[in-house]
Amino acid sequence: MFYYKNNFIKIAGLASVGVLLLTQGCKKSFLDVPAQGQKPSAVFWKTPTDATMAINAIYANLREWRQTAFAPIAVESMGSDEAEKGSTPGDSQYMDDFDTFTQTSGEGQVSDFWNGQYASINLCNQAIDSIPAINMDASLKSRYVAEAKFVRAYGYFRLVRAFGGVPLRLHYPSSGAAFNIPRNTTAQIYTQIEQDLTDAASVLPQTYGSADIGRATKGAALSLHAKVAMYEKKWSDVFAYTTQVMGLGYSLFPNFEQSFRIPNENNSEEIFEIQCPSIQNNGAADNSQYSQVQGVRGIASGAGGWGFNVPTTDLVAAFETGDPRLNATIIFAGGTTAEGDVIPATVTNPRYSYKPYVPFNIVWYSNQGEGQDVRVIRYADVLLMNAEAANELGNPTQALTSLELVRARARAGNNAVLPKITATDPATLRTAIWHERQVELAMEFDRFYDVIRQGRGAAVFGVKGFVTGKSELQPLPQNEIDLSAGVLKQNPGY
Amino acid sequence: MKRIFTISGLVLCCFFFINAAFAQNVAVKGRVTDATTGETLVGVTVSVKGTTNGTQTDVNGAYSINAPINATLSFSYLGYASQEVTVNGRNNIDVKLLSQNNQLAQVVVVGYGTQRKVDVSGAIATVNGAELSKQPDPNPVSALQGKVAGVQIINSGAPGSAPQINIRGIGTVYGNANPLYVVDDVWYDDISFLNSNDIESMSILKDASSEAIYGIRAANGVVIITTKKGKGAPSVRYNMYVGYQHPTNLIKMSNATEYATLMNELNGPSAAFANPSSFGAGTNWFNVILKDAFTQSHNLSVSGSTEKTTYNFSLGYLQQDGSVAYNQYDRITARMQQDIQVYSFLKVGYNAILENNTSHDVPGDIIYKAYTAAPVVPVRYANGTYGDPADYPIGSVTNNPQAELDFYNHHTNNYHVSGNLFAELKFTDYLKFRTSFGGDYEQFGANGYSPLYYATTGQQNAVNSSLTLANTNTKKWQIENTLTFDKTFAKDHKVTILLGQTALSDQVYNETGTAINVPNIPDNNYLSLGDNTTRTVTDGGSILRQSSYFGRLSYSYKDRYSLNASLRYDGSSQFTQSERYGYFPAIGVAWNIINEDFMKDQTIFSNLKLRASWGKEGNASVPTNLTSLNINNGFVSNLGGGGSIQPGEGVTTLVPPALYWEKSVGSDVGLETGFLNNRLTFEFDYYNRKTENAIFDAPILGSIGLTSVNGAQSILANQATIQNQGFEFTAGWRGTISKDFSYSINGNLSINSNKVLSNLSGSNAIYGGGNAAPGGTFATQTVVGQPIGEFYGYQVVGIFQNAAQVTGSHQPNAQPGDFIYKDVSGDAIISSKDRVDLGNPLPKYLYGFNTNFKYKQFDLTVDLQGVAKVSVYNALEGLRYGSENFPEYFYNNRWHGDGTSNTYPSVNIGSTANSAPNSFFVQDGSYLRIRNIQLGYDLPSSLTTKLGIHSVRIYANAQNAFTFTKYKGFSPEITGSGPTGQGIDNGVYPLYATFNLGLNVTF
Repeated sequence: MFYYKNNFIKIAGLASVGVLLLTQGCKKSFLDVPAQGQKPSAVFWKTPTDATMAINAIYANLREWRQTAFAPIAVESMGSDEAEKGSTPGDSQYMDDFDTFTQTSGEGQVSDFWNGQYASINLCNQAIDSIPAINMDASLKSRYVAEAKFVRAYGYFRLVRAFGGVPLRLHYPSSGAAFNIPRNTTAQIYTQIEQDLTDAASVLPQTYGSADIGRATKGAALSLHAKVAMYEKKWSDVFAYTTQVMGLGYSLFPNFEQSFRIPNENNSEEIFEIQCPSIQNNGAADNSQYSQVQGVRGIASGAGGWGFNVPTTDLVAAFETGDPRLNATIIFAGGTTAEGDVIPATVTNPRYSYKPYVPFNIVWYSNQGEGQDVRVIRYADVLLMNAEAANELGNPTQALTSLELVRARARAGNNAVLPKITATDPATLRTAIWHERQVELAMEFDRFYDVIRQGRGAAVFGVKGFVTGKSELQPLPQNEIDLSAGVLKQNPGY
Repeated sequence: MKRIFTISGLVLCCFFFINAAFAQNVAVKGRVTDATTGETLVGVTVSVKGTTNGTQTDVNGAYSINAPINATLSFSYLGYASQEVTVNGRNNIDVKLLSQNNQLAQVVVVGYGTQRKVDVSGAIATVNGAELSKQPDPNPVSALQGKVAGVQIINSGAPGSAPQINIRGIGTVYGNANPLYVVDDVWYDDISFLNSNDIESMSILKDASSEAIYGIRAANGVVIITTKKGKGAPSVRYNMYVGYQHPTNLIKMSNATEYATLMNELNGPSAAFANPSSFGAGTNWFNVILKDAFTQSHNLSVSGSTEKTTYNFSLGYLQQDGSVAYNQYDRITARMQQDIQVYSFLKVGYNAILENNTSHDVPGDIIYKAYTAAPVVPVRYANGTYGDPADYPIGSVTNNPQAELDFYNHHTNNYHVSGNLFAELKFTDYLKFRTSFGGDYEQFGANGYSPLYYATTGQQNAVNSSLTLANTNTKKWQIENTLTFDKTFAKDHKVTILLGQTALSDQVYNETGTAINVPNIPDNNYLSLGDNTTRTVTDGGSILRQSSYFGRLSYSYKDRYSLNASLRYDGSSQFTQSERYGYFPAIGVAWNIINEDFMKDQTIFSNLKLRASWGKEGNASVPTNLTSLNINNGFVSNLGGGGSIQPGEGVTTLVPPALYWEKSVGSDVGLETGFLNNRLTFEFDYYNRKTENAIFDAPILGSIGLTSVNGAQSILANQATIQNQGFEFTAGWRGTISKDFSYSINGNLSINSNKVLSNLSGSNAIYGGGNAAPGGTFATQTVVGQPIGEFYGYQVVGIFQNAAQVTGSHQPNAQPGDFIYKDVSGDAIISSKDRVDLGNPLPKYLYGFNTNFKYKQFDLTVDLQGVAKVSVYNALEGLRYGSENFPEYFYNNRWHGDGTSNTYPSVNIGSTANSAPNSFFVQDGSYLRIRNIQLGYDLPSSLTTKLGIHSVRIYANAQNAFTFTKYKGFSPEITGSGPTGQGIDNGVYPLYATFNLGLNVTF
């Protein structure tokens, strides 16, 4: 019996010690576990590298799906007379709603566009909020903030054109009170965009070294500012900003068609270009679908793309006879591209957009044409804005000079086509400049809002169902209105 | 509290000593029989109390044992109440054991112990393992469907997938909405690794007071699983079944001619298909990808007990092919259990489960792909190449499902080592200390390989083959110490006190590696064989720790009145410091009226018991890593152009405001009655459960520009308080028609109603269900006073027949063939203001009807189960992007010209206006299913004895053979996504029936 007892006490003692140890072990520290595999924000926004990374993220985000693919096609292109849905008739028919101005607030592309722009603005806001407090080189610090302001202005400009006055968010939301805010006025949005661009232009350098190609420059800020001012009809500002840009050393690339090809990216004409890489086995880098969604549909090798946002016969007709830009803007079924790709007559659509085209022999990893950069502002646009502003300000000589630069490049030495414009009558010249914008910037997501700002929506798009007082703007996403519990008001007519 | 506990432990062990008596032995003999039937009982364990001396009854129920003259003999037998008899110098003692059908003898597994059924004050349902293993379900939980009132099981047809369980309605809702499974003291979220054959019983704790002892994790309900232990003479059992699964309730799709006709209507005047009828019937893609699937299960076990030990070893193998070609799930389970009575006061033991499962997967959306695939495309052309959708004038459907399957190469391999070690110290007859250390180690490996191939224009990989290897390791340990005091004072006062402490740690680590250009050599997949410049590795993980103390006091008087009170104190690392700890109290009372003196002379009731309880429990099932703001490093910029890339980082998530415990407060009132010697029983429960500050994701404004941690545009918060209120009825009847023919019938019905009591956003709705329409428009709303996640949208009142009708309507942009929506707001224009409540995705009625007939050696089981008054959102009908195929019923019913239909729209049903959430898509999800039919035959014992076998049973079984429903989709059983996304069908695995032949042999 003693045998039993001894062992019993030993075991019981051990067990009790075990309990004791455990209960002692269960102090507060047992429950303090740091977030696993995540970098907490408490260690971010501390070093110059953090600032660099934050700015890199802003640029990286600019090529994502909502920024460059379906949402811009629906919101910024379908309403125009230059493009239509494309692909097969039954595919993604909601695109047709934008073409016929029957889109409703439930369209996924409207909310994608809205959400995408605000996601970009959020990345800019946090950089503008946080970089100033980082201990780092002062000039680099102010440049980073200026770069973020440029991209924020770009985002708000796209929003204000699409929706009118939107909620103006300039900071990372720090409390629940900042979550649900009403729409600001269109004027307030424009004021902020102009402020950001003024700030950016005063800091950003004219050029960068080769490792920094693709960052916002002074020229980019001024050019975007000119465009914003043009939408506000501030003609003297447009003229002043474009004149400044024209003194920064930009020049039109000699070959119009070649200027859009991958080897000529970031050429002398490109003022702001979204950089899109093609890197093996790097899904975060290969994510641009800009070229893919617009690519030639029905190429058996799998090259080309989905065939959306295709040029209309109206656009074909808009080109003057013999304008070489026609065959550099539109790929025709049954033709051959300048790079030698044969486009079978059997492809799905008769026409495709040439500007995002990537030759079929170029290797891609995640998405067809993933390496094609997106041209946001070209020097030709600046020249045409300069011409339009000069004309509006009663300076036809300057207007004709700038206009001729664009036409001369397009002519490519063939003086039999694209005769020099000589009209000095403001109305005639205005029409000529507008027409030049239509063909020079065709399929670059400019046409629809260009016509709207010209006040010609009903005249140009009326046949497609444009309703004055409604169709100038998109509906706000219904989900957004629902979530705001009525704080956000819908645009008229939706 | 912890200090008190520690001290009490020490004090107890210091002051303990044993009294033992030395006495003269006598030989005792006797027979053990069933108290009601008089049948002899074989293998009853007979032991001398307080010693390690014991034996078992033989085939005639006889035993003989040497025992001290004043010893107490203990008789225990599975399914019977144990009995103790003092020897008092006798040499012959016959014992009659009471089957546990007797109320007083029944014991119920409760949290951290067992209780006599009479003392239970909460709502606890028990299902025994034999009942579970009648259903050939790989996951034991699936077998509960229709068996227990108040328990809704939503099975998915995908092999190896776990069902969704809602106990008493949907309450706690975030993330893992599964109940807590307690298997041999260790906590699990999922028990797919358990073999039904290894389960002795399942206790389903349904009411808050029973669950509250598991405070931290109890709010979804608790299922306590006791695994089998060896008992009696050694026995070797072999159970097997073999059979096949047959897909049922398939949707008949339009054939090629019908499809081409529909596409011409959709594409307008351009009529893509010049001659639709030239395509004939075309390809029936379901016939191509679905098949009758083979299934088999084998289970071999050895178990028994001796004087000092019990043991049970089992080995199981399950093969379940999927209904989709290539899909296969294999599982091997091994279980070991041993208890050793080392000394009279010390028992040690272990339970170990080893499991391995492998699967050959199919693409998750393959059913959807077959549903949408164009029937005009052949599987293969005459020359053997795949039919290429790009060769046809169709747009968005670029897949040949057969090619999709042929080139999908994804396998998983999962290992589990799980179990516990325990020791029980008996200080005295009434004081017991138990410690258990358990854990779970899981390694989950997934292997995906995409070879270089060319199938069709849209299905090819021309550039690089790629290999993805993913590994997830889960390491969990859990320690538990309990001290139980159990004593009856003055004959009538039974007191049980439980004190306990537990701590657990759950660590998950996952890593994923990718490489390209890895040669295609099966079973030789290594990342290092690929390009070394582009290999990638990512990893992540989580650590969860919890620490808790708990106690329970049970008191019962004269088997008439009982009281149970418990309290748990829990801390979890998931919550911020200030919100980390929570108290979870519970109380319950029961009154066994039947045992009152005044009931002695009545003959109507054989059982009458009233019980009432209240409890509070918590939910900590929120993600770890939640409350700190983290950096997204998923950006890659390309500054400098060309191939130069730079990493980018930013904050893209919104950190939830301080989260705190979601608490569930529930009360329950129950009445249990028995008549005719308990051959007829009724049980009734009323419950009211309030989930306070339920944690779930709710969408946030897109203009905030941020997402929640899971990438959705939403935020996790304590969003709403939800009430589930309902009634449960269970009735049973056991009848005997003759000596040879007996039967039993059990039915259960539950009625539940769900209501939101308050919202974080006050009177504003919480929206959800953005996966129901192509544009992402919300299809559900959660508003105060209504059920959570009710469907919300336009009310369809007809179809526009012609342009003239459109002109004068409230929908000026409509096309003929579009839905006419009801102008609810009366402002003569259809706008978002016209949306109304369209139905409740949460079922009001659940019912089950289970019968068993036994005639001589034959027995027949027929189980029915169903759900009524529930809506399903058939999103699949409207989730269209272009040229997806339509079901044939749509072709037959569609509007295709003035006067053709006033209920079904035109082929343009996928337009944003027509697919906007509306009443057309809200359909009746009620169903009645013949869940199980089993016909069995037990070989007569005269024959088996000759063969030297204990028993042989053969059976045939048909599971889910018929499901009756008006629902038009594959299956009305929809596993939802979160509380605000319940009942939205955007593509589920089809139902299947299983037909098996089985054999059970016991040696």
